[in-house]
Amino acid sequence: MSQSRELYDAVLNGNAKKAHEATQAALEAGFAPMTLITESMVPAMDEVGRLFEAEEYFVPELLLAGRAMRSAMELLRPLLATAGEKMSVKVIIGTVKGDLHDIGKNIVASMLEGSGFEVVDLGSDVAPERFVAAVEEYKPQFVCMSALLTVTIPAMKTTIDALNAAGLRTRVKVLVGGAPVTPRYAREIGADGYSESASGAVTLVRRMVAIA
Amino acid sequence: MSADKVRIRLEPLSVVVEVPRGEPLLSSISQLGFEFPCGGTGFCGGCKVRVLAGSVLVTEQDLSAFSPEELAHGWRLACQAHAETSIVLECVQWHMDVLTDDSGQSALKPGLRKHGLGIAIDLGTTTIAAQMLDLASGDILAVETDLNPQSAWGSDVMSRIRAALTGTDLTTIVRSKLQAIVLNLARGRELEIDEVVLVGNTVMHHLFAGLDVEPLSRAPFESALLGEQSFSPQELNWPLSSACRIRFLHCLGGFVGSDILAGIVAIGMPSADNLTALVDLGTNGEIAIGSRRGILCASTAAGPAFEAGTIRMGMRAVAGAISRVFYSNANMQATVIGDGEARGICGSGLVDAVAAGLQSGAILPSGRIANRTKIFPVCEPVVLDQADIRELQLAKAAIASGFRLLLKCLGASADDVQSIYLAGAFGNYVQIDSAIGIGLIEAPKTCIHAAGNAALRGAKALLLSKEESALPEIAHVSLAAEPNFQDEFVNCMTFPRMKHIPEAH
Repeated sequence: MSQSRELYDAVLNGNAKKAHEATQAALEAGFAPMTLITESMVPAMDEVGRLFEAEEYFVPELLLAGRAMRSAMELLRPLLATAGEKMSVKVIIGTVKGDLHDIGKNIVASMLEGSGFEVVDLGSDVAPERFVAAVEEYKPQFVCMSALLTVTIPAMKTTIDALNAAGLRTRVKVLVGGAPVTPRYAREIGADGYSESASGAVTLVRRMVAIA
Repeated sequence: MSADKVRIRLEPLSVVVEVPRGEPLLSSISQLGFEFPCGGTGFCGGCKVRVLAGSVLVTEQDLSAFSPEELAHGWRLACQAHAETSIVLECVQWHMDVLTDDSGQSALKPGLRKHGLGIAIDLGTTTIAAQMLDLASGDILAVETDLNPQSAWGSDVMSRIRAALTGTDLTTIVRSKLQAIVLNLARGRELEIDEVVLVGNTVMHHLFAGLDVEPLSRAPFESALLGEQSFSPQELNWPLSSACRIRFLHCLGGFVGSDILAGIVAIGMPSADNLTALVDLGTNGEIAIGSRRGILCASTAAGPAFEAGTIRMGMRAVAGAISRVFYSNANMQATVIGDGEARGICGSGLVDAVAAGLQSGAILPSGRIANRTKIFPVCEPVVLDQADIRELQLAKAAIASGFRLLLKCLGASADDVQSIYLAGAFGNYVQIDSAIGIGLIEAPKTCIHAAGNAALRGAKALLLSKEESALPEIAHVSLAAEPNFQDEFVNCMTFPRMKHIPEAH
């Protein structure tokens, strides 16, 4: 058995305290940190995404699962660092300038992190120059942008233009999402991908990693 | 959209359908709940619509049903029309009863008497309510209600902002509508009008005054020009006496405008000893809590669920809408407006239905429909699906979390609030038990009161009072910038656990 059932259940049920305890117990029982991520947490977050798609789960359950996942990651992250293990794919994420709505972005960030990607969350109301600086600093493979207002989505284009101007555009894949964003708009502004849901964003990143 | 299709949008519900070009409206818009009372023969006139955008050819029946002037204004019989281009239609049968206010001077705070005539206008995002008063006696002499003509550019303030930023002149559009309303009220007494007072949210304020709405289009959503805007009739091109003063009262901050200021005045918050609250339940929910010692206000994006806007079988409170639902003896019982067959559900019915579902156990506190079908039957053939309930969860969480955060900012708890007034049409019709049942309002029933059109009542009080009465400080709180907002919003998404009603046998 390479899965910690307790950790899987704790993440699925959004119980942060139990997730922390289960991780502790699993580590003491000899589980490798990376195994806990790939065999317990990733499948649990996949199931959370599936339940959300199936309308069984809603925003509170997603955010609770994300919280549980992060409480387990707090224990695992330092161990991964000392073991020299690296998560292969890095994603930076933020809501665009002028937009403070970050619940959707937080869900995507949790789901990506729970799926084994390293996520740098820049928060909300992120100016194009901050995206550019973060790409230079963290050297991610992906830049994810979210906007919830029709009046703020033009900032997605401004950000892509800024990445172009800084000569960084070809180094990253740009993914966009948020209620008013459409696949067509994503194409028009030159984004590499669009997803209408959080679990769709995970699938998209996985697929693009497989291609790249 | 392919070239051989056209798009029909029906206002004020803003529902859209795409149909093949040239299709009769008779077959294409009845699926949206539009009714043809005489079956489409062109005789009854019950399907009359006004073309707001695009064009519809005049038919023979139109010539007999309408005057040349009405035809020029775009009036048509929908049953005779074909969709040759994409069109936007205003549907008279969907005009809701616009809430006005029948309190005259006696019911308002007695101020120093003035002379002449005055007009108070509540310029809402969706509707306009206006009254002409005798400033000496306070008597209401005339009432006018109408739809805000800007509705053709979207039902919420954000879409109006976008339209204005992309070059649509919404200022001229609303000023000429209000000019017509003022002239209808005055009916020849134009030169006796001394004063016109307008109230509305910040976007209505800016668009009426012709101010730049760009600062309202991005975080932190603060305009520097929130003050009272005053005009002479010449500036607006309104044929009133040159001595008449036209004032759009000042905004409170963010999107919270003078309609809430007027509401605060109407419910007596500025002189209250204990904490009093005003909750305006619309697409943009607005909340004010305070007393004579100071007032805080905030706006919160509730979305259109309380108007059943995003609900699959949602409709306005017109004939065929389920307006009330009870749960008793293990049965759902529904009241349908007009006593006919149920065709859909309106906002108050939606809140009732979900409260009843929580009582019966058919809906779980998480919001999930308990059975596997994901369908919650309300009254044959009307059902709610899982997404409908999610919409309501988001809307009620926006209001409830805003209320909790304002209380926190005041350093108060829910027990400190003596009275909560629900303003707006939805607040007037929602069952208070059900509002409590879904956790929309978290207070004992005895504290909660319907306030009617508090904005118009307050505007009249402000029109009639001769001197600016001193108000306590009213501060605006930007909820989205509050660090706890996300957590509180998500916390408020679940429904309260209900005591199951024992079944009576």
